[in-house]
Amino acid sequence: MAKESVDSGLTWEVRANSRHYHKHKQKKSFLSIRWGRYADNVLRSYKYSPLTFLPLTLFEQFQRVANLYFLLMVVLQCVPAISSIPWYITIIPLLSVLSVRGLKDLASDMARRRSDLKINSRPCDILISQRFSTAQWKDLCVGDVLRICKDQVIPADLLLLSSSEPHSLCYVETADIDGETNLKYRQALSETHNELTSHPSEETLAAFDGVVLCEEPNNRLYTFRGQLLWRGQSFLLDKEHILLRGTVLRNTEFAYGLTIYTGTDTKILRNCGKLRVKKTRTEKVFNKVVLGIVLSVMLAALLLAIGSGVFSSLVMSRTEVLSSLVVNGNPVYTGFLVFWSYIILLSPAMPIALYITFEVIHTVHSKFIGWDLEMFWQQADRPAQARNTSLNEELGQVGYLLSDKTGTLTQNCLLFRQCCVAGEIYGDASVRAEDMKPMDLSWNSFSCGGLYMSAPGLVEKLRGQQCALSRQFVTALSLCHTVMAEWKEDAPVYQAASPDEEALVGAARELGWVFLSRTRDFIVVSELGVTRQYQLLALLDFTSKRRRMSILVREPEGGLKLYCKGADIVILERLQKDCPYQERIERSLELFAQACLRTLCVAVRSVPEASWEQWSKTLAKSAAMTTCDCDTMLERLYDEMERELQLLGVTAIEDRLQEGVPETIDLLQQAGIKVWVLTGDKKETAVNIGYSCKLLDPDTRLLEWQELRQILQSPDPGVSFFKARQTDMWAEDRGTTGSKTAVILTGPELAEFDQRPEWGASFMSLAEQCQAVLCCRVTPGQKADIVTLVRKHTKSVTMSIGDGANDVNMIKTAHVGVGIAGVEGGQAVLSADFALSQFRFLQRLLLVHGRWSYRRISLFLRYFLFKTCGFALVHIWFGCFNGFSAQSLYETWFIAFYTVFYTAAPIMCVAFFEQDVSAESSLMWPKLYNVGQKQELSSPRMLFLSLLYAVYTSLVLFFVPFGVFHDTAFDFQTMAVTVAMAAMFTANIEIVLLTRFWTKFNIAAVCVSVVLFFICTRITHNSRLFERAPSDYYFLGVSDRAFIDPVVWLTALLTAWTAVLPSMTALALNIILSVHDSHKVHSVPHQPVELRSKLIRGTSLRRSSYALSQGAVPGRLITSGTSIRSTVPTVDEIVTASKNPTDSNGQMMDNKTPKLHFKTV
Amino acid sequence: MGKVKGNSGPLAQRPDNSAFKQQRLPAWSPMLTANTVLPFFYFMALICMLLGVWLLLTVQSIQEVKLDYTEAGTCDVCFEKRKNVSNAGQSCSCTVEFSIEKAFKGDVFFYYGLRNFHQNLRRYMDSRDDGQMVGRKNKLKNPTTYCQPFDKDSAGRPIAPCGAVANSMFNDSFSLKYHGPTGASVPVPLYRKGITWYTDKNVKYRNPRTENLTLAQEFEGVAKPPYWKNPVYQLDVLDPTNNGFINDDLIVWMREAAFPNFRKLYGILYRADKPFTKGLPVGNYSIKISYNFPVQYFRGRKEVMLTTLTWFGGQNHFLPIAYLVTSSLSFLLAVVLTVVWWKFGKDGKNMEE
Repeated sequence: MAKESVDSGLTWEVRANSRHYHKHKQKKSFLSIRWGRYADNVLRSYKYSPLTFLPLTLFEQFQRVANLYFLLMVVLQCVPAISSIPWYITIIPLLSVLSVRGLKDLASDMARRRSDLKINSRPCDILISQRFSTAQWKDLCVGDVLRICKDQVIPADLLLLSSSEPHSLCYVETADIDGETNLKYRQALSETHNELTSHPSEETLAAFDGVVLCEEPNNRLYTFRGQLLWRGQSFLLDKEHILLRGTVLRNTEFAYGLTIYTGTDTKILRNCGKLRVKKTRTEKVFNKVVLGIVLSVMLAALLLAIGSGVFSSLVMSRTEVLSSLVVNGNPVYTGFLVFWSYIILLSPAMPIALYITFEVIHTVHSKFIGWDLEMFWQQADRPAQARNTSLNEELGQVGYLLSDKTGTLTQNCLLFRQCCVAGEIYGDASVRAEDMKPMDLSWNSFSCGGLYMSAPGLVEKLRGQQCALSRQFVTALSLCHTVMAEWKEDAPVYQAASPDEEALVGAARELGWVFLSRTRDFIVVSELGVTRQYQLLALLDFTSKRRRMSILVREPEGGLKLYCKGADIVILERLQKDCPYQERIERSLELFAQACLRTLCVAVRSVPEASWEQWSKTLAKSAAMTTCDCDTMLERLYDEMERELQLLGVTAIEDRLQEGVPETIDLLQQAGIKVWVLTGDKKETAVNIGYSCKLLDPDTRLLEWQELRQILQSPDPGVSFFKARQTDMWAEDRGTTGSKTAVILTGPELAEFDQRPEWGASFMSLAEQCQAVLCCRVTPGQKADIVTLVRKHTKSVTMSIGDGANDVNMIKTAHVGVGIAGVEGGQAVLSADFALSQFRFLQRLLLVHGRWSYRRISLFLRYFLFKTCGFALVHIWFGCFNGFSAQSLYETWFIAFYTVFYTAAPIMCVAFFEQDVSAESSLMWPKLYNVGQKQELSSPRMLFLSLLYAVYTSLVLFFVPFGVFHDTAFDFQTMAVTVAMAAMFTANIEIVLLTRFWTKFNIAAVCVSVVLFFICTRITHNSRLFERAPSDYYFLGVSDRAFIDPVVWLTALLTAWTAVLPSMTALALNIILSVHDSHKVHSVPHQPVELRSKLIRGTSLRRSSYALSQGAVPGRLITSGTSIRSTVPTVDEIVTASKNPTDSNGQMMDNKTPKLHFKTV
Repeated sequence: MGKVKGNSGPLAQRPDNSAFKQQRLPAWSPMLTANTVLPFFYFMALICMLLGVWLLLTVQSIQEVKLDYTEAGTCDVCFEKRKNVSNAGQSCSCTVEFSIEKAFKGDVFFYYGLRNFHQNLRRYMDSRDDGQMVGRKNKLKNPTTYCQPFDKDSAGRPIAPCGAVANSMFNDSFSLKYHGPTGASVPVPLYRKGITWYTDKNVKYRNPRTENLTLAQEFEGVAKPPYWKNPVYQLDVLDPTNNGFINDDLIVWMREAAFPNFRKLYGILYRADKPFTKGLPVGNYSIKISYNFPVQYFRGRKEVMLTTLTWFGGQNHFLPIAYLVTSSLSFLLAVVLTVVWWKFGKDGKNMEE
């Protein structure tokens, strides 16, 4: 047996109730050596322990090339022979960088520890020595038997053994796994159910000694293979028997489960994806530039070192005094030392301050996001939050927004807003649901609110018994569904598999037709206070292919009625001829579709007794046939029954969007961001939402898989795509507007991409031309795959936004992940880089904060490169005049203070406050966002230009003073002060040219920087300091003379002016030429972003908005009666079961028998 | 942030509505247009030109005589002599003659200059001990290692002043003579004090001082730099207060030049007596040089200079010319910008109207 199971891949062995066996094999680790097999149930998302913190953080930090480089500099500076700058100039900043970063990591690690602790100490009931005792999640071990109570979160992947419900059914909510809020059912094996529920549970459970053999832990959420070996028998297990960690038990008093996978072995944690450190694009480009600088510095140093060697051998060896200074008399060795000296001397070109400042700026930008009142969600008292403080500029470069649907775009709250009965439209969808004046429904004792439709006319008609059609319409709503009613405090609470049905039944209740309860054979409805019992004859279930469901009932009066609801297309083609009001109803369908409501057609048919009898016989016959034929047979039979329908009316349900979603999507699309929707929901729902949130326009052509596949398979996808578009234009004959296309994909279709990797690139090139892409029915893993696809084939920045645990993977995969802090659970937020409370805050996050951040950080990087390189490269030119001896042109204190005191504050102010246009204008002109997407400010070209400018500046900085001081009585130190002064002036004039937004801080920063230069220079040239440490303050008295020497001033000013001349000219040119643009931005009268909602959806194509997010299962369950607690005589059930051999029962359901849904009396 | 929030009500998390946090700080965004930018360019060009012209005029008024005496006059003999290191001990003097056509008005400064002498080599510049020169006794006995190989002599005695800079001190001396129209030659008095910076003379360089000890005793057990003839306490035989580390010539030399070609102040014309009360009169002059400093090793040149000074310093044509060049560059750019504006930018302006 064991051998067999090994062969079939079932190698994971779990023995029930044998703690010791599993404990023994538990995974342990010490110093990253791991052994053992079974993970424990402790969540460890933290990285450090007190012992490992220091080495780990140092290891991590020195993985950054920059830090390693600075460490090398420090080491070099400690060698006296080559130290051209004292060692303390680099080591203090380096230490502060390391410690700041280390502390930051430590703080976030502590936060992770705390949240881990919270999860690990959640309570759960474990069966220990025949008794259930409350323990914590972390104590859970593979093989334990658990009791889960109602509404508890399941702590590990469990095998359901039995539950409190009949047939050991239980319901779980999987919102945290796939985002769907409807309930899923799970059922235990009938064997375990029978055995374990028959006796007092704790003893039998404790005596349970089954062994589960199953697959190794994996991340496939929707499959499970295994077998249970118990009492010498083997039972097959599949996913229907498994309760996954993270799901919530609902509608079930309690359930017993056997722990199979724990902790990191559970499917949801396997699905989490690796936490990856995100780096921004700008940072990457910048790192390359830094690497380039380091390499050029090395090259320059090498050339200078060669020069030094030559100089030593030619000149120095001849000069008596100097020859003794050639180290060991060996020019090559001198050159070698000089090489390292130059590396040190030129290292300020890439100063460590850059990295500190960079981090500070990021942090401040993140704070600004948190401080923004416009992104503060008052209802929940929750500000926006930047959880990852290093991705700010990426927000200004987003090219693709991949959004989840449920909970992100929609509120997952369906409202019955309108209906059309007998050609009359009730309700008004143009009024917002909140502004709705509720109808007076006090006459209805069952009314409990929740109807956002004001239709007194309808109520009057219904109560006045005037209109048979409208009464039938509401009757249909109260009968034709698979909702179950649970009685709580004298009112029915509806448990629906889909929120749509709940909305419909709820609406019927409000209107007086209250669905009270159902048994297998009867549906009890209170119609305006009169309780009526309908006999349920057959339920023609919903499938995505049929797109309709019907219910065949015998009215209390005795007549047979078929009530049917479904997609307009399928219903309309099954109507009897000359249906009254058909045209008006079709017109209303269009109106509802324009308002982006989900529509369902409701129809009725009176079935003659004779035809029913015949039909039911055929059905019974076909049910006995083999499985595959049966399905088609059933379909035909159903089809036979659902015809000659009489159209009653249309319902219109609003899938409520989050506030401001259409406006936001519209704005983002105007800003050039491609919006994709990835959802686990159905295609119809997704498309409907696509329309209602303005992602799709009415005239957008939907490109579905068949067509897309053909295009992708064709040799030249681009051409075929274009052709497809063109033919479409012909067909619709609507000129240029037809050029909009959207791609609709579903999960299984996406799976084909795995087999055809070459499609990825062509698909992306198509998608780039499309208005939008909708992916439906995708798993969390696939969501991440789509993000990876986009990342792989475009250079754009991707952003994922979602709210549920099913979005975690995608959020982690994208460049930037945004979590919506929804009503429930913050799973997405915990792994997101940014947390928002509302989808609409995205526009401010991207267009305002993102754009500003990008601009500020680009300016900062370019300026920083300029000022540091411009100042450090001077040494190369000076090298040509001092025998390449690595003599510094500056006082060491100037080198130390230059980046910190003399030039840091103004650029920091720019990086904090700069606004080229105001927040309002940023939102008003979304086109401005394109700058970031195209990387206009931070492209390698721009950075290179900055470098080039820096080289020019360094040339000016050296050669103008050289010309003045060359062959004069001025000494080296005066020259040093002059060049320093010129460099400081240049850097500050440059920042003045750069700043467009002068706050008081900017002005103060510039003034303070300049003043600081003079003060600090005076201080370090002070005689007191000199007397303390003559070798550190040897510039004694230089500034006393230099600062009053007109030559020094004239030289410094001339140098600065000449140095900034190119940038000045560029600025002037910019101003002169950009009159158009700025004119546009500043003088066009302000107008709000116009929503295209007014656009009339004038298509003749009727869209099917039928969307019931449910599978075919509920109907089966209902008719099989397994899930219904018998409140109405159970005798009947037994009688029918014994009488009718074709009756489906629990047994058959387990064996996956055909969907058989009819009852006979 | 750090502020403790008093309100713990329903909106405890609400961010402050401050201008800073909401990024609504009052700010001035200069709306630059061609109308402001172009005049600025012309203005800067004008300023630079005015300065350049003014400086040029000033520089023109300066009078200067420059004399390369490396091999001039009778110095060729000494030049040859200094080629051989073994003759270092022998003294050699020579005379160079020159004449002044136009009288030097006002203060006249006497410089010596060196060409091609790299006082700015890192290891050369580092080869000194400021601690020793400021009079620290421990440093006197124990010079810094930066002075190597000029920190200790072969006998292990510390060298003071240590290092290559002091060791290579310029040791030519000059005496200037005026051959007036009468034929009599009058020595031109040079004031050889006060040629240093005040801070150097009074702060940076100090002799080690102990009560009751003469300078010579102070420097006992200390060797002179190998190339020097006299120990540091005998640099100036005439003036005992001008000895040790505070010797003016030493201080001047120790202030290293930035570039291989440089000049250093030697003396200032002493204008108390006739005929030098108004400066240097017209006539022939001769300089007697005690020729000690060897330059042929590094293909260097030695020169002397007599110059008058203005507010702006000595004769330096670079700065005014640089100003004029920058001025014309700015002007050129301004013109180009104007043309561009005329051609393209104006449309925008028209649109505005």
